[in-house]
Amino acid sequence: MTGAGETRAALPHRYPMLLVDRVLMTAADEIRSLKAVTLNEPWYARLGADPPEADFAYPDFLLLESWTQTAGLLAARPDGPESGTTMLFGSMRDVEFHRRVFPGDVVEHHVRLLRAVDDTLVLEGGSRTGDEPVLSVGTVTVAFRPREQPHTKHTGPATR
Amino acid sequence: MTTAVLARPRTVREPGHDTGTGKWSARYSVVIDAEEPVFAGHYPDFPILPGVCVLECVRTAAETSVPPDAGRVRLASVESGRFLAAVHPGDVLDIELVWEPRGADWRCTAKVATGRGPAATARLRYRHGAAR
Repeated sequence: MTGAGETRAALPHRYPMLLVDRVLMTAADEIRSLKAVTLNEPWYARLGADPPEADFAYPDFLLLESWTQTAGLLAARPDGPESGTTMLFGSMRDVEFHRRVFPGDVVEHHVRLLRAVDDTLVLEGGSRTGDEPVLSVGTVTVAFRPREQPHTKHTGPATR
Repeated sequence: MTTAVLARPRTVREPGHDTGTGKWSARYSVVIDAEEPVFAGHYPDFPILPGVCVLECVRTAAETSVPPDAGRVRLASVESGRFLAAVHPGDVLDIELVWEPRGADWRCTAKVATGRGPAATARLRYRHGAAR
């Protein structure tokens, strides 16, 4: 298990967009992590006096961001790509949303490295809460590029 | 629906039906203000809109006005998504949507651009029924 400090050091993301709480395990080509959903996240700040239950559902695309940050942690290990590079979210295919999650849910992400070609990684996996599937990720492709100046073509999670 | 992005889409063109193809097309714009909460942490020194937030804007636009033929639908999957260029604070997303029936489902194909050119493409799959 890896502590929150190491996770925070390995990712450039910060509050409110640092969406991995704990790494459960890492292997050569896979990683598992946890994301705990709380009512104290800023997305819920605008809820009115008596919101419908549906408004407590955690934003689906933030779960995908959390999954992809986990992939970034797999790529950020010492044997990963050279430092001085930035990980760019290139594309995704067949990302299925199975159920919504709510404050109090703990989501477990599982990311497997399918292949690495030059500076491009192809990953797959999914997320669940308890025994229930939340997300399945057909493939996500990320690419490493030399770190450029701010305001260049960075669109996704970056590492290092 | 609770979302990461505060901004809501403005309707530029309501869904219109092409009777020849059976498709519906619509257009929206979303102003990405520098005050969006995500920018504080993505990233502290160089704010760029997360790719997932671009897709969330596509979803919010799509769900602003679903084609009447589709009835009640929910997002089932992202069939594909591709990020082409960064989106910065102050950008305005131009979102073009095309809806078409796919068996019992509907596919919503999106092209997203900013003033600098194409930013993303996506295909969302919608399924009949209430929220998951």
